[in-house]
Amino acid sequence: MQSDFIIIGLYLVLMFSAGLFFSRNIKNTADYFLAARSAPWFWIMGAIWATNIGFLHGYLAHGGAAYEWGLIQANFEWFQGPFGYIISGLFFIAFYWRAGVYTVPHFLERRYGSALSLIYNLAWIVIFIVTIAAEFYLGGIFLKNLLHIPFWPTVLVLAIVVGTYTLLGGLGAAIMMEFVQFIIMMLGTMPLLFILLHMVGGFAGIKNVLIGQWGVSAQYFTVLPDIHHPYGPGPWIVLGQCLVVTLGWCAGHQSMVQRNLGARSLYDAKFGYVAASIPKTLGAFLYIVPMIAAPIIFAGNGIFVERADASYGKLILNLLPSGMLGLFIAGLLSAGLSSISSVLNSTSTMVVKDIYERYLVKGRPDHHYFVAGRAATFVVIALSLLLVPIVLKVYLIMWLEQTLLAMVLGPFMGILMLAIFWRRANAAGSLVGFITGGVFAILLQQVFGVNIFFEISWWSFVVTSIVTVAVTLLTAKPRPEQLDGLTWESDFRAKLGEILEQRAVKNGMKIGDVPKPIIRRPRWYLNIKYWATAILLCQVALLLFFG
Amino acid sequence: MTEENKGADPKLIVAVQMLSIGIILLILSAVVLLVSRPGGMDHFIRLTFLISEVSILVVGLAFAVGGWIRYRRAKKA
Repeated sequence: MQSDFIIIGLYLVLMFSAGLFFSRNIKNTADYFLAARSAPWFWIMGAIWATNIGFLHGYLAHGGAAYEWGLIQANFEWFQGPFGYIISGLFFIAFYWRAGVYTVPHFLERRYGSALSLIYNLAWIVIFIVTIAAEFYLGGIFLKNLLHIPFWPTVLVLAIVVGTYTLLGGLGAAIMMEFVQFIIMMLGTMPLLFILLHMVGGFAGIKNVLIGQWGVSAQYFTVLPDIHHPYGPGPWIVLGQCLVVTLGWCAGHQSMVQRNLGARSLYDAKFGYVAASIPKTLGAFLYIVPMIAAPIIFAGNGIFVERADASYGKLILNLLPSGMLGLFIAGLLSAGLSSISSVLNSTSTMVVKDIYERYLVKGRPDHHYFVAGRAATFVVIALSLLLVPIVLKVYLIMWLEQTLLAMVLGPFMGILMLAIFWRRANAAGSLVGFITGGVFAILLQQVFGVNIFFEISWWSFVVTSIVTVAVTLLTAKPRPEQLDGLTWESDFRAKLGEILEQRAVKNGMKIGDVPKPIIRRPRWYLNIKYWATAILLCQVALLLFFG
Repeated sequence: MTEENKGADPKLIVAVQMLSIGIILLILSAVVLLVSRPGGMDHFIRLTFLISEVSILVVGLAFAVGGWIRYRRAKKA
């Protein structure tokens, strides 16, 4: 056990030191909030996946749910996640990137005006602060249960480490650490799968014991179950979760989007997002499939698990030798720290760029906002730590986060789709639609007692879209500057027009006489669409194989 | 643009990131190998442990060397 403490301590010291070392290179707001737009595609890939995997959405919660409900939990990794990454990478990211914005609310402001942007911004800031508090809480509880170390000192050490490198180094430091965490999670925690499969006789061995001997329902091994499944009815997973929540999460979650905005080119941003679906798919082999084998190991060793979300910790504690356990705990800490740092950095970006600079203190030198970014990071950490004792119950945190997400993601997807694909959509329609959709989500949950999160999201998306279209048609058309380069149609036209105009000026010709430019395509093995197709085919194969 | 607003060189940023990632992974994997006792592990667990550790070490080494080369180039430029 002593060697495990050495490994965990060393890991935290290395994170802290590297953050300090990197921060010397950060000089202005573009460096701080967008990492000087320097990130190559593989940085983006690792950072996006590490951002997505935390204590809340990863090893502990998803692993625990897989232990309790089975392979259905893999629908996040083998179906929705890659779908969301690929669609966002191929379509949505290009609009944010070309618009030159720092945040998603900034894009909404350009397309729909400031009122909607402000509401969206404030909703996400609240969600983010709750998320950070939840991650700190889960990290503290996890280490307390596993290593018997006190809760608050652990939480404070985690806050100091992650806070220091994010506060000083901004997005660049966060992306760098996320890549380290990506490698440690992927290579360091993958052995558990092989050890477990070796112990239980492969995937067929798990099925033989659970279905053949224990009489567990075949639905335990189904990724997309029927509509009567109590945890995740298949049709709602496809409609509500995949098309609305996951897509909204991938296209509208500032932490996910910000990593792409820090890319060195649009190609890197798009390719990074699409490529992130590869580790996303492999994620199921890190914490879903092992947890399906876990009941057999627990039964064989007489281990009692009181709560599903404690099952992953119990499994590694009882199975892994000293040294390897330390690396696994470092891997799990990586998951939590990467999520905290990304959300922290995104919250400070939204606070400074969308509220402080826009409404409170305008027109100051760049350095002022750079310092404000660091101050905002500190304040967000402090607020999150203050929130930890208030929301000490995990279920309260999860409920609050899911309720807020259901209120935001459904309506957001409605207005985003219309923003890009319907030029007529305007500020008044989107504002009324967004608010109506959010209120409708609350009514569904609180008054009509609908508890399936995906169902709420789907209906709030539908209501938002209908109301936005209706109100838009009754009100004035948007101004040209609210469409320029921000919609699907105008995007290509604007780009082509700009190129033709530049060539006409350069050659002293009329714009009609300029030959249309030849669009160069990347080599076949670097073509994003081929990669996206190959990854989607892998998803289909996994779904067919695992059911 | 004032001196204060002049941003960092993107190539230098990537070089520093690569170098830091490489050093972290190298040190971490080396220490894990040193403080663990693979000899006392079950045969199959030892095998997976060593594959995992060596993989991290190799990735770390690749990033450290690549980062160092890029860092020197960026500094010269």
